[in-house]
Amino acid sequence: MTVLELQQVKKTFGSGRTQVDALKETDFQANEKELIAIIGPSGSGKSTFLTIVGGLLSPSSGEVILNGQPISNMNERERSQIRLREIGFVLQASNLVPFLTVDKQMKLLDQVKKGNMDNAELEQLYEDLGIGELRKKYPADLSGGERQRVAIAKALYTNPSIILADEPTASLDSDRAYEVMELLKHETKSKGTTTIVVTHDIRLTDYCDKVYKMTDGVLTLEGNENR
Amino acid sequence: MFLAWNEIVKNKLRFTLITGVLLLVAYLVFFLSGLATGLKNLNREAVDNWKADAVVLTDESDKSLYQSSLTLDQAKEVKADKKAVLGQMSAIANNGKKKTNVSLFGIRPEEFLMPSISEGNPFGEENEVVADASLKEDGFKVGDELSISSTDIKLKITGFMEASRFNASPVLYMDLDTLNRVKYGEAVEANKDRINAVIIRGEQQEIADDSLEVIETETFIKNLPGYTEQNLTLTFMIYFLFIISSVIVAIFLYVLTVQKISMFGVMKAQGISSFYLSRSVIAQTFLLAFVGVAIGLVLTLVTGAFLPAAVPVSFDIPTMLVYGAVLVVVAIAGAVFSVLTIVRIDPLKAIGG
Ligand SMILES: Nc1ncnc2c1ncn2[C@@H]1O[C@H](COP(=O)(O)OP(=O)(O)OP(=O)(O)O)[C@@H](O)[C@H]1O
Ligand SMILES: [Mg+2]
Repeated sequence: MTVLELQQVKKTFGSGRTQVDALKETDFQANEKELIAIIGPSGSGKSTFLTIVGGLLSPSSGEVILNGQPISNMNERERSQIRLREIGFVLQASNLVPFLTVDKQMKLLDQVKKGNMDNAELEQLYEDLGIGELRKKYPADLSGGERQRVAIAKALYTNPSIILADEPTASLDSDRAYEVMELLKHETKSKGTTTIVVTHDIRLTDYCDKVYKMTDGVLTLEGNENR
Repeated sequence: MFLAWNEIVKNKLRFTLITGVLLLVAYLVFFLSGLATGLKNLNREAVDNWKADAVVLTDESDKSLYQSSLTLDQAKEVKADKKAVLGQMSAIANNGKKKTNVSLFGIRPEEFLMPSISEGNPFGEENEVVADASLKEDGFKVGDELSISSTDIKLKITGFMEASRFNASPVLYMDLDTLNRVKYGEAVEANKDRINAVIIRGEQQEIADDSLEVIETETFIKNLPGYTEQNLTLTFMIYFLFIISSVIVAIFLYVLTVQKISMFGVMKAQGISSFYLSRSVIAQTFLLAFVGVAIGLVLTLVTGAFLPAAVPVSFDIPTMLVYGAVLVVVAIAGAVFSVLTIVRIDPLKAIGG
């Protein structure tokens, strides 16, 4: 089933001589249970693509359709709601709240949204991610890899239909990076979500179903490995 | 409250500091308000005890009891539900051990100005007086013989009434005749029907005598020397403290908020609304301000209980509660900057490129 569709989406920053076509007219589709990687050099437009898909940035033209719903022309309030309900972000920088324990990071989401995982599902998630022991700890007391895993737990906790990860492994060593990718893959398959991972690291694409390459704002499909 | 409370618990020192600052400001506000009430009482207690509606003085006196002088014949012109004549004089009273400023009030015992007695007996015969209870704290007792400046006449305290001070001096009530003998000495015969004012309760009719002026009690009090100036000064200080506390809270919260911009940005990126985050900051401010003000209030009352009687503080709880509420409100107003900052945070910037 198609979860995400981009129709002729284009993003231009600035105008005149300073104009940057960060994303040229792009068509794109993603289905459920798909783990997709986007690679490409710095400044090629990967983050621009991801933030448009995540409803954080409006495209200059074209349409983004999430679960059958066009989101490009929504106002900030509506897009905020969509982000909360449909999207799980895993960011390069920690997206954890410094003064909340791991458990409370999840409770915070209960404060703002219903229909999150129940206790049993959360326990399972903690176990999958190997962070059950960390639930009473604050982010400052976690290692980079542990923090990243908690961030993933947080992204998954709200049962999003799509997970967007911008360089989720940038602060991790290779072994940890593989672990995180393994986890994302596991969650994608078992929860039936769609996951898009932006990365510099070609080796991580081994875990992905599809790999796209971004070059100067043009997105092209690289391979379809179906492992 | 979830976010607000958890942040406070994790960052106790920070929030204790801001609560401490608010507490001190509240303490100062409450104390000044106590001082304001105390100083007011010092000036008006005696007048409040009259439970009068108006005071009749001579037109020329410019609303000053001290400068007003009329005769009992003129007093007859005043027609009201209830009226009482009053003669007044300021003097120094000395019981042999202590000297103090006093205000001597001469009245007719059968009229309503006659104070109710809390200790001892009412004045009866010549040269007997009933004294303000605050004199007891200065060591004055029933039976004391008081020498009065400017006369040889000695006045004897027969009893005490409830606290009655007028324009910062304790009051001695006595018969009008006694007062006039003290006041005019040799010349008493010529002046024995001189009084300073007629005090009125209830409805009064137009007074035929142009040289008299009817002044409402509150206006009369406001025109006591120094009363309004003193009040304005303290009120001004209190209002200024409101502004200061608002600014302190604004700066403090703003610094905290700026430190958390990227965190708020990330939360907004995840879809947590500005409304939720702003509400959390407001809730936090309310909590801190409320706790600070409440502790400040308790501390003020405790301090008040240990202060020597000479310090003119008197706590008017309703006024203090209003000031406390104002402090909480201005603190929340101080949080507005932070709310604006949160609303303006662009989640896109927070998650970086
Ligand atoms: N807000 C903006 N205003 C102007 N230009 C921008 C803005 N955001 C991005 N750009 C430009 O758009 C292009 C694509 O940027 P983008 O952040 O998408 O690159 P990226 O592929 O994510 O790079 P990196 O791998 O370094 O993160 C760049 O040339 C960048 O300078
Ligand atoms: Mg990027």
